[in-house]
Amino acid sequence: MNGFVTDTGAILRREWLRYRRDRAYWVGQIAFPLVAVAFIGFGLNDVVQLPTGTDYLGHLASGMLALIVGSAGVGGGMTLIQDRDSGFLRALLVAPVSGGAVVVGKILARVAASLALVALLVALLAGFTPLRLVDPGAVVLGVVSITVVFVSLGVVLGAFLRSAESYRLIAAMVTVPLYFLSGIFYPVATLPAPTRWLASANPLTYGVDLLRYGLLGVSEMPVGRSTVFLCVLTAACAVAAVAAFERSAEA
Amino acid sequence: MQSTHTNEPAIRIEGLVKRYGDQVAVDGLDLCVEEGSFFGFLGPNGAGKTTTVSVLTTLTRPDAGHVHVLGRDVTRERAAVRRDLGVVFQEPSLDRELTAREHLDLQARFYRLSDRRRRVVDALARVGLAADADRPVRGFSGGMKRRLEIARGMLHEPRVLFLDEPTLGLDVTSRAAVWEHLRALRAGGRTTVFLTTHSMEEAETLCERVGIVDRGRLVVEGKPAELVADLGGDVVLLGLGDGAGAAAREAVTKVDGVRDVRVDADGRLRVTISEGSRRLAALLDAARPWSVEDVELHRPDLEHVFLHHTGHPFEPDRLGENGNGR
Repeated sequence: MNGFVTDTGAILRREWLRYRRDRAYWVGQIAFPLVAVAFIGFGLNDVVQLPTGTDYLGHLASGMLALIVGSAGVGGGMTLIQDRDSGFLRALLVAPVSGGAVVVGKILARVAASLALVALLVALLAGFTPLRLVDPGAVVLGVVSITVVFVSLGVVLGAFLRSAESYRLIAAMVTVPLYFLSGIFYPVATLPAPTRWLASANPLTYGVDLLRYGLLGVSEMPVGRSTVFLCVLTAACAVAAVAAFERSAEA
Repeated sequence: MQSTHTNEPAIRIEGLVKRYGDQVAVDGLDLCVEEGSFFGFLGPNGAGKTTTVSVLTTLTRPDAGHVHVLGRDVTRERAAVRRDLGVVFQEPSLDRELTAREHLDLQARFYRLSDRRRRVVDALARVGLAADADRPVRGFSGGMKRRLEIARGMLHEPRVLFLDEPTLGLDVTSRAAVWEHLRALRAGGRTTVFLTTHSMEEAETLCERVGIVDRGRLVVEGKPAELVADLGGDVVLLGLGDGAGAAAREAVTKVDGVRDVRVDADGRLRVTISEGSRRLAALLDAARPWSVEDVELHRPDLEHVFLHHTGHPFEPDRLGENGNGR
């Protein structure tokens, strides 16, 4: 167990060093939500009336944070393919490091990067939207669960797909519908019946709702139920990702 | 650095078979490598060298056969095997965004090395990368990357070090630098080294023993000099002014180490002699009464050994030699 923690820490450190140096990643991840909220949010704020009674600007701002966290998670899964392409994965596989440590290290690095990103974005968005740290615990759980689910999804895809091109294509095919059916852009309650059912089956819906609760104090779903569901889902996704990685490492 | 199994070789391969689809990469390979030896696994491209290394380093599961490293089964005791291994892959296995120091630091953490910082600094200095320690690998030349890979493979002082074509694709200067490190490693004598190569020169220069592999099977194994000597020795061609008569032939046959004396198509004496360069003077002395006019010493090398045992010439793939790996 102690060894697992040390190995996971070593992997986490390596991933973090990579993220820290990727300036384009940070600029893009910070600029995109600010621009989207400023341009779309202000444009639609007076047009859209939400059943929850909140400002559309706040709704979109919290939703964009979830979107950024989700896409960062998918990017985290893609590092597996990048490691395979560079050959670095082979070096990891002959080292006395378990597949579990590699996957958990990758997940934790993205969690750390996304928490830092969200903290910074909330500080910036608070300047011109109603976003506030209403419930920090809910924000953290929202970020952690969305990150774990999306990195795990990425690791599972990366375990089966051999090229970065096919990964990007398949990941987009899987994630874009999840984004649109999750309450990021509009409340789930406003959707027509069949799509609303799909949205309630979408794990991202609960992550978005919890994050929004933490930042605006309003939620569509009972917070307790979302919390339990997300904790279970997070653990299950991490286990699935480790299993998929270890299977793919067997040649 | 005590051996866990006193009589157990460092590497024991019995009946190894590995197929990729219809293609048989390794076809019933048997091989033993003694602990502490510097072993060369020599064969043309596609002979099954890299596949064998993949199995030995626990990356690939064999389809049949038993493979043990330091007495441990590579399929059933993977984690334990990995702790004692160092591997330098044929193709790059570095993270372009990390620096040289960060690569070694990560390795040191994986192997729980004490005094991490100092060992990393020493290792970088040993391979001549001290000045480039904090540059990302993305800006490194092929030779620098290979030296970093070697430093990483050796950092934790593994009991068995695998080097898969360590000089493939390197220019002459870089290759010489890598050879220098490997010679120093051999002089240390504590690490068992398993080096694959398709370069005859590399095998003859560096390795104490070589195993020649062709089409997934071990063809012959032994010390390079002995393998060559087993062919019957060197060939000396003597052009004699007074002709290669029976008396001359008889005089030459009496020289130590001479195994065979014939007259070739040009009327020269063709003498097969072991350790020809050492005995050339004695041979010339014996032939002097028949006035020696010209002498040629032909030394057979591993290429002749390969040809002798496989019946076909060793043809390294020139494309591969130029290094088309990423």
